[in-house]
Amino acid sequence: MTTLKLNGRDVSFDVDPETPLLWVIRDQLGLTGTKFGCGIGMCGACTVHLNGRAVRSCILPAAAADGAAITTIEGLDPNGQHPLQQAWIETQAPQCGYCQSGQIMQAATLLQDFPQPTDKDIDSVMNGNLCRCMAYRRIRAAIKLAATRMGEEAGHE
Amino acid sequence: MSKLRQHADDASTFAMSRRGFLIGAAGAGLMLAFARNGLAATDPDKTIAEGAYEPNLWCRIAPDETITVNIIRAEMGQHVGTALARILADELEADWDHVRIEHVDSDPKWGTMVTGGSWSVWQSFTPLSQAGAAARTALIAEGARLLGVAASACTARASVVSAGAKSISYADIVRRGKLSRSYSADELKAMPVKPPDQRRLVGHDTQAIDIPDKTDGKALYGIDASVEGMVHARPVIPPTRNGSNVVSVDDSAAKQVMGYLGHLVLDDPSGTVPGWVMVFADSFDAANRAVERVKVEWTNDDTVGISEKDILDHGAELIADASTGAMVFNDEGVDAAFASADSTLEQTYTTASVLHFALEPINALAFEKDGIWEIHTGNQWQTLILPVLAKALGVDESKIVMRTYRLGGGFGRRLNGDYAVPAALAAKALGKPVKMVCTRADDVHFDSIRSPSIQRVRMAFDKEGKVTAMQHDAAAGWPTQVMVPSFMPKGLNDQPYDPFSISGADSWYTVGAQRVRAISNDMANRAFRPGWLRSVGPGWTNWASECFFDEAAHKLGVDPVAFRLRLLDATGRNAGSAPNAVGGASRQAAVVRRLAEKTSWGKLALAADTGVGFATTFGQERGMPTWIACVAQVHVDRSTGMVRLQKLTLVVDAGTIVHPDGALAQIEGGALWGASMALHEGTTFLNGQVKDSNLDTYTPMRMADVPEIDIEFLPSTETAVGLGEPATTVVGPAIGNAIFAAVGARLRHIPIRPADVLAALKSSAKA
Amino acid sequence: MFKRVILFLLALIVVGIAGVFVLAWHPSYEPIEPPAAASFDAGQVQRGEMLASAGYCATCHTAKGGARNAGGYPLKTGFGTIHSTNITPDPATGIGTWSEAAFARAMREGIARDGSELYPAFPFDHFTRLSDEDVAALYAYLMSQAAVSAPAKDNKLPFPLNIRALQAGWKLLFLDQGRFEPVAGKSEEWNRGAYLAEGLGHCGACHTPRNALGAEKSGEHVYAGAFIDGWTAPALNAAQAAPLAWNADELFGFLRRGGTALHGVAAGPMSEVVHEGLSALPDSDIHALATYFAEVNGSDARSAESNARLATLVESGAPDPRARYDEGADLYRSACAACHYNSAHPPALLRPELALNSALSEAVPTNFIRVVLHGVGIGEGIPGAMMPPFDRALSDPEIAAIAAYLRDTMTDKPAWTDLSTRIAAVRQGGSGS
Repeated sequence: MTTLKLNGRDVSFDVDPETPLLWVIRDQLGLTGTKFGCGIGMCGACTVHLNGRAVRSCILPAAAADGAAITTIEGLDPNGQHPLQQAWIETQAPQCGYCQSGQIMQAATLLQDFPQPTDKDIDSVMNGNLCRCMAYRRIRAAIKLAATRMGEEAGHE
Repeated sequence: MSKLRQHADDASTFAMSRRGFLIGAAGAGLMLAFARNGLAATDPDKTIAEGAYEPNLWCRIAPDETITVNIIRAEMGQHVGTALARILADELEADWDHVRIEHVDSDPKWGTMVTGGSWSVWQSFTPLSQAGAAARTALIAEGARLLGVAASACTARASVVSAGAKSISYADIVRRGKLSRSYSADELKAMPVKPPDQRRLVGHDTQAIDIPDKTDGKALYGIDASVEGMVHARPVIPPTRNGSNVVSVDDSAAKQVMGYLGHLVLDDPSGTVPGWVMVFADSFDAANRAVERVKVEWTNDDTVGISEKDILDHGAELIADASTGAMVFNDEGVDAAFASADSTLEQTYTTASVLHFALEPINALAFEKDGIWEIHTGNQWQTLILPVLAKALGVDESKIVMRTYRLGGGFGRRLNGDYAVPAALAAKALGKPVKMVCTRADDVHFDSIRSPSIQRVRMAFDKEGKVTAMQHDAAAGWPTQVMVPSFMPKGLNDQPYDPFSISGADSWYTVGAQRVRAISNDMANRAFRPGWLRSVGPGWTNWASECFFDEAAHKLGVDPVAFRLRLLDATGRNAGSAPNAVGGASRQAAVVRRLAEKTSWGKLALAADTGVGFATTFGQERGMPTWIACVAQVHVDRSTGMVRLQKLTLVVDAGTIVHPDGALAQIEGGALWGASMALHEGTTFLNGQVKDSNLDTYTPMRMADVPEIDIEFLPSTETAVGLGEPATTVVGPAIGNAIFAAVGARLRHIPIRPADVLAALKSSAKA
Repeated sequence: MFKRVILFLLALIVVGIAGVFVLAWHPSYEPIEPPAAASFDAGQVQRGEMLASAGYCATCHTAKGGARNAGGYPLKTGFGTIHSTNITPDPATGIGTWSEAAFARAMREGIARDGSELYPAFPFDHFTRLSDEDVAALYAYLMSQAAVSAPAKDNKLPFPLNIRALQAGWKLLFLDQGRFEPVAGKSEEWNRGAYLAEGLGHCGACHTPRNALGAEKSGEHVYAGAFIDGWTAPALNAAQAAPLAWNADELFGFLRRGGTALHGVAAGPMSEVVHEGLSALPDSDIHALATYFAEVNGSDARSAESNARLATLVESGAPDPRARYDEGADLYRSACAACHYNSAHPPALLRPELALNSALSEAVPTNFIRVVLHGVGIGEGIPGAMMPPFDRALSDPEIAAIAAYLRDTMTDKPAWTDLSTRIAAVRQGGSGS
């Protein structure tokens, strides 16, 4: 039996040792916001947070995450109003939208590590997240917008 | 003009000549709908109640002020619902805050359901505008009656009809009024559509309705579909697209996978998925692992030995044989002009196989419920695949409904709904709902790839350097021939051809006697199922022609932009015509001039080994030109051959722009697709299958590759044309020409690999 | 002539073997009634438990999924597989009948209660340094555990290694008995670190290469790095390959928390050492170990050089334009950089900077390959953070391309050779060395 704290809620399940976390989240636990894209950890569509950090759930055996806190796009903010989500809407970043859960989850870790990211930081950390519609320009703009907002907020506190 | 597009038009533009428009009560609300002319004359309420309308627009005004616009187009990133709803809402003078959109399931009443060719807005603009105007007129009339004033004294704005201090909301009119109107086709045409300067939504920015759900995981794609009791399936993809036959299946190792349920060799009356084996399990993950343990043996036909070079060599042979192909243009005097030319230029260009690689792998959920087959999947052309599904399932088309989902990328892959067939066959055989999900490798190996192409371009010049003739021959696999041959128009020599695979070669340049020959590469058509991929033929025809114009300019010692402007003289067939190509080549010349000015063409001081290249196209097709030009700036590393794309500048004239920010997004994405196909993508067909299977070796553009981009739309009130594809057609040749400008290396094949640049540098040094 | 030489050599061997059997005779200690747990001082038991943890007794004496300290864990040595024994106080299968004297003899001389020889897989060559007090505490703790019946498993050693008596000869050659003696002139902290490292911690058991007979080499080879359990145990002496010096602060951070920003994380067996062993020791002991090893590796002398390298090495983490023509560069930026990239600022603890990671600078790529293939578990390294396994995502040639690219761009070391072969070997469970 593997146990996770998924978006703040305790969940347990039985799973083959090889089963990737992605399929447990999507098929067993029913949260479909996390997407399947490549299955080899190279498109980023499946990105979730494990103990607060972005990880590719398509290559991570669920059993290996036993005891971890997992956050998916559905749990990033209770109302879908994380500064990144707001910035994504404001810049109209998504096109087909399929990669965007992963982009946003990866961007959250980016901003955690680099609160005011340079273009080089964005290039390097976001390069593993493929956007097939190639909305990259707006994703970059959204990250910078969110960074500015979060910086201002932190400044006010 | 392509038959296919005309067919798609039936539901809208062309239909206007024979369709009326109804406004009638529906439940507590009010419905607006197109209807067949005869019905329009009868009782509108009755016609609506009986569903005897066949609208492609269908809009409902509810008593709570909500206005719902039904959208028959697939949402795949273009925010199509927002654009279409705004056209209607603008004329309707609706309060945008209360407008909702609904992407509908398939139903014969919608007419042709297809989302492709960048047609959606172009096709719908006029009928939606007229319908909105008709509804507004009716609401004003009824509002005036309720207010006790003359209709002429009323105006409508934000879902309210006002006359001086008196006003009444649309919702109140719907609640209190008796709105039942019908308009004949002629009446509809005469509706007072607003002049462009009075538009309040069209041409003004807004946030796309579909976007919020794409930021919080709520948007549902085909891969998210589920139904109680479904069995999960993953296919074993055969070694070749056609001609694979299953000899034996050994699943003994798969039986060790917990949850494995069994396998099925598909028996497909529609012939869509020959050689397929479906593997079933109680979860996708188990099905996935079981497939890895199932051994299938096939027999194959000769396509298992076909590789990219064979296809291109065969294409070259077809081009060399003057008797092949369909003549799209064949002016008098081509051969004479070449025979008497002072000089000529001839070059051959090739493009590699390209994958769609939509990020959502193809998938489908199928089951039968109450005698109706439900197919849950994201799809771009329901009307194309429904008859195939009917054949596969052995039921009437009316017994099948395709449930609509968001598409995790379309790019033309999901025009071909072949992936729905195996799920349906399996569900029928098992008597249970089956959800098939393909892994990335399955998706790639079952892709309808963009065919590799080979093209020969020739030009004849007189002694003053004037162009006297041009010939463009293009050979490639033809998706339309393979999937909808009945939609192919005939060339001047009576040979049918795939218009999408030659568009672009029939350019708006005035080049003397012109011949454009479209050749179907039959070897490609057999070896794989060619697909429509974002812009289709213009993705390769413009690679050839726009690089060639650059080469011709250099041969003549003329500036490439000046050379193009000289040929874009808007004479003869290039003068253009209403409604879609008003101004013709003069509008292409205008974008060229604006771009040259914007980029200080010819005046820029650039660093060493850095260059700019120019290209211009008319988007997808002559019948619906989107005028576009691009300047690409690149730096070339002479030691490694690496090309760094630094900047793309584009100028676009797409007529009326409905949703400016959405339009910009389409050009941004299209331009980067063009760059990606020129520099980063491209696979190789190898022994009956594409060589790549995933992102470890297939390398589309990523964040770090993205150049600076500057896009400008020329203001226009002309017909709204396509936006999704044009930019993909123009960037590749601009990059190729920029590389030549930077280091003198001429590339005639995409994708451009560093090794190709090194080789071209070497040969240019020798020359 | 030749025959005579052979005969002479044979004779020597016979005499030698006979000698060994003489040496191998040890008295047996009388079995005792297992003492009651309550008969030990609670403080002593508690101290023994801490020591047992810091000596990783359970790491080797617990089989996967088995009861703690009940033995049966297979130790794969170059000579064959040796199974650890039951060290719970079960009278029949464990050490329940061992007197404290018998236990002390085993710890210090490698001789079981019944007088038979123990294999040096049991690091008595280190435990011989333990103080009497610590041995007594360990005995008190072990005898206070719940008894578990777990018969010893057969070892898989080839003849003649399966003759335990031959161990006597081994000891004659290699065992240097004796308690730890503080080194005069060194600080108390240094001496404490040395005591822990050389004795209980038996660091050399993994980090010092062994000779053909399986004994730790001496002299310059001490802490020169070795292969163990399919991993490379990096050198701890001045030959250590990490780009930045392991000073006392870095060593403390690594040994206490399982990783540092400037050196990466403890993976594999070292992660167990940190999280299941050293975690029992107080900070003061970890500081002592750090002080000791900082001197062993001579880091003080390298600090200026380290600071200079830090600045240049981190820069190489930037996106590399060669991605367009180098497969490894392309794979790295698409599959690895999201987590491993650091900006020009000092690297972050949770963004392991590969330019600073000894896995990349080791002479052999074993550790690098293992981590790429199998990832870093949630309890390994920095607890809570993990790296997913890429064994099913990347092919051997692809991992080889990444390794070659990183080795080339992030270290000043010569290229690794035979990467694909080594990766295939590690995939099969080997060390790829």
